[in-house]
Amino acid sequence: MRIVIAEDTAILRAGLAELLGVRGHEVVGAVGDGDSLLTAVDEYRPDVAVVDIRMPPTRTDEGLRAALQLRERRPEVGVLLFSQYIETRYATELLADRSAGVGYLLKERVADIDEFVDALDRIAAGGTALDPEVVTQLFGASRRTHSLDALTPREREVLALMAEGRTNAAIADTLVVTGRAVEKHVANIFTKLDLPPSDTDHRRVLAVLRYLQS
Amino acid sequence: MDSRTWRSALYALVYLPLGAVAGYLLLLLLAAGTLLSLTFLGLPLIALVLTCWRQFGRLHRRLADVLLGERIAAPHPLRPATGRLDRIGRRLGDVVAWRAVAYQIIKVPQSILAATVCLAPLAFGLWSATYPIWWSVVPENSGRHKHGFPIDGFYFDTWPRAFLICVAGLLVLAAWPWLLRGVLVLDRLLARGLLGPVRMSQRISDLEQTRALAVEDAAATVRKIERDLHDGAQARLVSLAMSLTLVQDTLRRDDVDLTRARTLVDTAHQGAKEAIAELRDLVRGIHPPVLDQGLEPALRTLTARSTPPAMVRFDLPTRPSPAIETIGYFCAAELLTNATRHSCAKHIDLTAKMTGGLLVLRIVDDGDGGADPAGGTGLAGLRARVRTVDGRLHIDSPPGGPTIVTVALPAHPAGG
Repeated sequence: MRIVIAEDTAILRAGLAELLGVRGHEVVGAVGDGDSLLTAVDEYRPDVAVVDIRMPPTRTDEGLRAALQLRERRPEVGVLLFSQYIETRYATELLADRSAGVGYLLKERVADIDEFVDALDRIAAGGTALDPEVVTQLFGASRRTHSLDALTPREREVLALMAEGRTNAAIADTLVVTGRAVEKHVANIFTKLDLPPSDTDHRRVLAVLRYLQS
Repeated sequence: MDSRTWRSALYALVYLPLGAVAGYLLLLLLAAGTLLSLTFLGLPLIALVLTCWRQFGRLHRRLADVLLGERIAAPHPLRPATGRLDRIGRRLGDVVAWRAVAYQIIKVPQSILAATVCLAPLAFGLWSATYPIWWSVVPENSGRHKHGFPIDGFYFDTWPRAFLICVAGLLVLAAWPWLLRGVLVLDRLLARGLLGPVRMSQRISDLEQTRALAVEDAAATVRKIERDLHDGAQARLVSLAMSLTLVQDTLRRDDVDLTRARTLVDTAHQGAKEAIAELRDLVRGIHPPVLDQGLEPALRTLTARSTPPAMVRFDLPTRPSPAIETIGYFCAAELLTNATRHSCAKHIDLTAKMTGGLLVLRIVDDGDGGADPAGGTGLAGLRARVRTVDGRLHIDSPPGGPTIVTVALPAHPAGG
């Protein structure tokens, strides 16, 4: 996979490049701010852009702005945003109209290289990758907590993993159950929460998030 | 008869309408307001009048500045009010406005006096000085002496006597500027006394300002700590985690590359040490632990690491309050940095002593000088921070010469 990294802290940029390289990905560009990111994507045509939210000049949400511009200009490029702390509002903005090929992870997630690379793969394939921390916060901040009580604990686990953007197969692996069991849980969840039917994994992420935030 | 005199004369004349007429208007309005205070219109009317007269006070100060050269500092502004009732209440209790009203009322007789002293001698002087001219022009009256005006039957009807009047007139004209200045001394005293800053409200305004500064300073410090942690220590630890992940990866393989593993572990180790050092610096920037033992050991440690070498002298028989020690320490630290970074000094001299309930820090460096609070070296911020505890910062820094910065802080702040 061809990857462009946008991260202003030099040691992290170098570290990420090395990690991704070790896992067999090609880091074709590593930049330090939003404008350079757009130029690099235009030039190198990567599959995924890994973008830090906090970048110069104001170090607030340049990365997010650049990522949204990228989504508009080059929708075929997947975007993985990462930051050192959770801001659920960023996740919402990023997923605003569509959730295909988009992800939001905590920087510390890179410490678990397998998860990180899995997230990248999901995004490159057009899926979604949300950090479990983000999902937990969204659940906690949701006003729908009492309707979530209608779900069994197992169903809530499945819902959380669904919100992270995982496929049924991945959920089955994580919970150590069969694929059919997962499908049944998903169907029950959609019925109990009265969610609109979704044909793809990333669309159901949107459905769940919209439900949580309404 | 210089410009100063003409401007003073203008001042006296301008105040004839401005003083007397405006004063009567003011009294009318206040009377109306008092009468109407039986209804709900009265108090708001008085409040409105007071607001206007506060602005008039500004006009009076301007006139005094332009025409009399009397510079009076502006009193504190009206503090913002919450809600309409509070707004009216504040304006009714506005000491500055009431003083302006008092000024206006006293000006009524005062302005008439000043205008009289301005015009009467001038008129008399001009008339008398030109007396010979039109005395000779007035036709002889039959049976009467040709005279100007009599004094006890003594008629000024001859040329020498006419010239006497002329001389008298010229003397009066010569004395006129002094008469004017004399009467305007009353005006100056009045303006200074009633239009200037009110001591207690000035103090309150001062405290509000420095409190706002202190609050902003605290917020900025917290933001800086967050930024330093995020960009420094946190980033290093994430990088450390990444290095260890790579080590894990390397060791998980069947064909373990030990050289690579060793390199990675060395990098990780180095990263950990750097993170520790950064955290240590950060803590020192927040509150150096040595400061708990006192200002003397803290400043000794601070200056021990400074280049150019700094000589320190202490005379601290008692310890000031901890907050003052902290402020003093950070002032000294910043001034030391300034001296080292901006002035290319070769010797720095730091003295800390307690005199008369004040902690006085003095930093002398033999660098380029030219230190200016407006210059953006943080001196203005330092002064503001020092002001929050009623301290003073004094800078003596001629260009090229040595720089002496003195910080005086109360050893135990009031109210603490």
